[in-house]
Amino acid sequence: MSDHDQPDPDQPDAAAISDGGNAVPTRRRLLQLGAIGAGAVVSIRPALAQTAGSVMNCEIPVPDMGHAGGFIADDGSIVAAGTKGAYAPPGRPFKGEEVKRAMAGNQLPGTSYESNRAYMNYIRRLQRGQGGFTCFASLQMPRG
Amino acid sequence: MRYRAPEAAALISTDLAPFTALFDRRSGITHILASPAPEILAALTEPMTIDMLLAVLAREYDLADPDPAALAVRLDELVASGLVATT
Repeated sequence: MSDHDQPDPDQPDAAAISDGGNAVPTRRRLLQLGAIGAGAVVSIRPALAQTAGSVMNCEIPVPDMGHAGGFIADDGSIVAAGTKGAYAPPGRPFKGEEVKRAMAGNQLPGTSYESNRAYMNYIRRLQRGQGGFTCFASLQMPRG
Repeated sequence: MRYRAPEAAALISTDLAPFTALFDRRSGITHILASPAPEILAALTEPMTIDMLLAVLAREYDLADPDPAALAVRLDELVASGLVATT
């Protein structure tokens, strides 16, 4: 007659059995993929981000108003008007949409390969406080 | 379609248990992540399809709901935030 009070050495340890009768002990952390509440990611955009509509229309003057008339060197720095090897400013500010396309490999409208490169280097070096910085910064954010 | 996490150098991470704060240098955006988003990002050590990712997560965790559709919803959120790219 078997003794039911003693654990049967042929059976797996009760603590190691999961619901499915699997004898392998599970020590992995529980993870739930389905949403608990509103989702798993909340994004805080910095205050200077613009809405998707206005990003495309915002403007980046080259150079900014404080340096109006200055020429743009190859590396994007502003040099005196008429400097040899530097490029005259474009006739108008560029729109966010135009700069975004230039960042993707196209050329700014009305530019040559070299002047496009000079203007883009200028734009990439924009700092906070310079005209066009906010517009340029917001072009680099996902989904405008 | 494969999902790709950013390289580690692009992110600054802080533990705010039970959340994780992630600053993405590329966008300047701070994201607050709740489980399972940080685990999903950590599992994406290389570009993976949903099925590959589900298999990795199932190995590392005891998945309460090992459902590709549920994982797809989580991945959509991460893609929308800019943290995960698709190739």
